[in-house]
Amino acid sequence: MAKFNFTEDIFFSSISELSAALAKKEFSAVELTHAFCDRLEKLGARYNALALSLRDTALRKAKDVDRDFKLDRVRSPLEGIPYGAKDLLAVKGKPTTWGTKAYAGQVFKEDAQVIDLLDKGGAILIGKLSMVELAGGGGNRYPSASATGACLNPWNRTYWSGGSSSGPGAATAAGLVTFSIGSETSGSILGPSAYCGITGLRPTYGLVSRRGAMALSWTLDKIGPMCRSAEDCALVLSVIAGNDYQDPGSAGKSFHYAPQFARKPDEITIGYAAVDFDESATPETRAGFQEALKLVKSLGMRMKEVEIPDFPYTALVTMIIAAEGGSNFEDFIRSGKVDQLIERRQAEGLKANLEIPAVDYLRAMRVRALVQQAFRDLFLDVDFLLAPTKPNIAWKLTDRLDMPATPPKSRGISGLIPAANLAGLPGLSLPCGFASGLPIAISFVGRPFYENQLIAVGKAFQSHTDWHRKRPPVTE
Amino acid sequence: MLAAAVAVPQAAPSQTPPPDADLEAAREQLKTSAQQIAKVKLPAATEPAFHFKA
Repeated sequence: MAKFNFTEDIFFSSISELSAALAKKEFSAVELTHAFCDRLEKLGARYNALALSLRDTALRKAKDVDRDFKLDRVRSPLEGIPYGAKDLLAVKGKPTTWGTKAYAGQVFKEDAQVIDLLDKGGAILIGKLSMVELAGGGGNRYPSASATGACLNPWNRTYWSGGSSSGPGAATAAGLVTFSIGSETSGSILGPSAYCGITGLRPTYGLVSRRGAMALSWTLDKIGPMCRSAEDCALVLSVIAGNDYQDPGSAGKSFHYAPQFARKPDEITIGYAAVDFDESATPETRAGFQEALKLVKSLGMRMKEVEIPDFPYTALVTMIIAAEGGSNFEDFIRSGKVDQLIERRQAEGLKANLEIPAVDYLRAMRVRALVQQAFRDLFLDVDFLLAPTKPNIAWKLTDRLDMPATPPKSRGISGLIPAANLAGLPGLSLPCGFASGLPIAISFVGRPFYENQLIAVGKAFQSHTDWHRKRPPVTE
Repeated sequence: MLAAAVAVPQAAPSQTPPPDADLEAAREQLKTSAQQIAKVKLPAATEPAFHFKA
């Protein structure tokens, strides 16, 4: 076989495109893995996106995959596809740092469940990707709160990629991996996906096992795919979703991608608030968001103006993460190791978490029950909620992240990220344009376990746009 | 030796270093969150969302 020339087109291919090329034996899995490892190792540092290269184990697995292809045996749609995982997921025998030097020597004996499932599906893990230290559980003030430094946005390296799934966002956007696995407690998949111009799926709480992942908040943590398209998210989710009796949060559900069973657009009602696409968004983003809304309206779905119920969503998420995170990291905090965190605000934030009165946490969890019921009621009238994923472009590297946001004049659906996380709802972020040279995105949020239909709506949007195909100016 | 269990202040209050500004900021954020949550009218029968299921 002649040596294949791996062009930029290959590095920005979708899962289906790469899968077809592998099946046709245009190149081998070993060749593809070599090419991606070279690129990830060379360019990963350019964005502070790489925590650990896994070239050796990746190449061994790629040889197994090539044997499968020779026998025309296909384990899953991800067979031979190179991917990266956020460094909060355990990989057997390799360092898992959770983004901080305080855990630099941490090595687990077992793979995280998602890593195991992807391995069984033939996907090739080529690297662990950077993250905000301890997923920002102490409330990081600056983008630089990571053992690998601030993760740089591939569209403009003076801006942040977002967090805490920073490396997955940047590496996927820059074509260093074909897809990545991130995690979200409240915004950590959808945020970096929006800021980096990729498609991110936050699954329903309990659909994907968290076994082997760093726990920040037992009742909020989710693991999900960060990809180039809604369809790629579906393919990854079909491999990683499923029951896990060793994850107490597991819902006992699986996911089968079946676009043929999705409802037609005219059978779907979208709830939205016009104000979110206008005055609640930063001025530079409004034109892009309004274009996106116009396009959604043209897809033939019924549109209905709604407001989400009035609850202090950010305060609720803050309290729940602080209390559960404080408990998770209690030994780490009391031992004094917490002072090894790069950012003092995070260390002190974790210390303060140990002082939360039980009644404050319990009240937050009781109010959360009301939030869940309010969303059940809301979804009697609409199938999906639609809003800008973030009302702004990415933060500059020097921006403070802990400044209080200006409350919008009209409530609309602002606060959908914390609200939907509290209710455990799935969300899909789709690139929808650019502002000041940086990506912006919209999100659809649906009922629990409504991923098949959610992805169908995302796919419909992406069949009329090419924002998800845009590539950042990656140079060596 | 019960007496040994009694905590003895190691320094007079006047010698205690001023509270760390970052720690105070974190405490303040939690206090503000608790105050906002406390404003929500909560029916007495509402149980916390433990054994959380979506």
